[in-house]
Amino acid sequence: MITTFETLAPGQSIEGPKFAVSRETIKAFCDASLDYNPLHLDDDYMKGSFGKTSFGGIIMHGMNNFGLITRMLTDWAYAANGALRRLETRWLVPVKPGDTIQPFGKIKAKRETAKSRWVAVDVAVSNQRGETVATGEALVEFPRDRPA
Amino acid sequence: MVKEFETNFWKDAKSRKVWDDIVPGEPRKAVPYLLTLEAIHRYCRAVGEDHPLYFDEAYARTTRYGGLIAPPSIHILLMFACTPADDWMRSPGTVNAGQSWSYNIPARPGDTITLQARALDKFIKKERLFVIHDNVFLNQHGDVICSGRGWTIRPE
Repeated sequence: MITTFETLAPGQSIEGPKFAVSRETIKAFCDASLDYNPLHLDDDYMKGSFGKTSFGGIIMHGMNNFGLITRMLTDWAYAANGALRRLETRWLVPVKPGDTIQPFGKIKAKRETAKSRWVAVDVAVSNQRGETVATGEALVEFPRDRPA
Repeated sequence: MVKEFETNFWKDAKSRKVWDDIVPGEPRKAVPYLLTLEAIHRYCRAVGEDHPLYFDEAYARTTRYGGLIAPPSIHILLMFACTPADDWMRSPGTVNAGQSWSYNIPARPGDTITLQARALDKFIKKERLFVIHDNVFLNQHGDVICSGRGWTIRPE
């Protein structure tokens, strides 16, 4: 069934592809984002403590989660002539090499405004242990008058 | 542009503002950045983006976008591409606690992107040094591409 604003309903779910995290994917994200913070590159540095936090080794960029959530939402929205208009995220658990993570979404609400139509989506990223590593919410617009 | 980018974030560490120096409301220095198709594709590959809107010009022309665009999350790259080496966002140990972004129009290959950015607030919570920062990316026409707010924990 083709997704349209009319067929969407609260509770419906969206699923993104799994993403296997490795030192290579983290380095590729460094090169792609220009974020070369040693948090993502330097194991010796990461053996130290950061105030009340200790990571024990390099961690994936939090914004890599953001990129995976975006990919899930845009692939879903483009197919229905929608567009991602807002994304808010919070990081809960560090992601490390060897983890496999996957983004999910669930429609929370629909709303029509004077000039457009909107869908609010709760989003999350889980790891292979079932832990939620990131949460957030998104707003996707489904314009009334835009052809494909 | 990537070749000129200093990837050793320790090198300019002493020239960057620490939490005490950051003044909410004060604009951050920014530099214009030419967004190339190559940079867009490098970013896409890193997060598995494969939508034809980013890769297939013939397809993209048939859509309402009228040509190739970058994914909305390209601001992840733009944050570092549009700031100089002494920007405090590059301080080693900066921890990203969360972000929210609003999207207006897509960035496109060939755009010259500028950034308007500042800290909005700073505070100490659970002994951690937080800064809230506000960022707006514009294209060469002065159109807003996206705007965002981030929460970071500062290393010092």
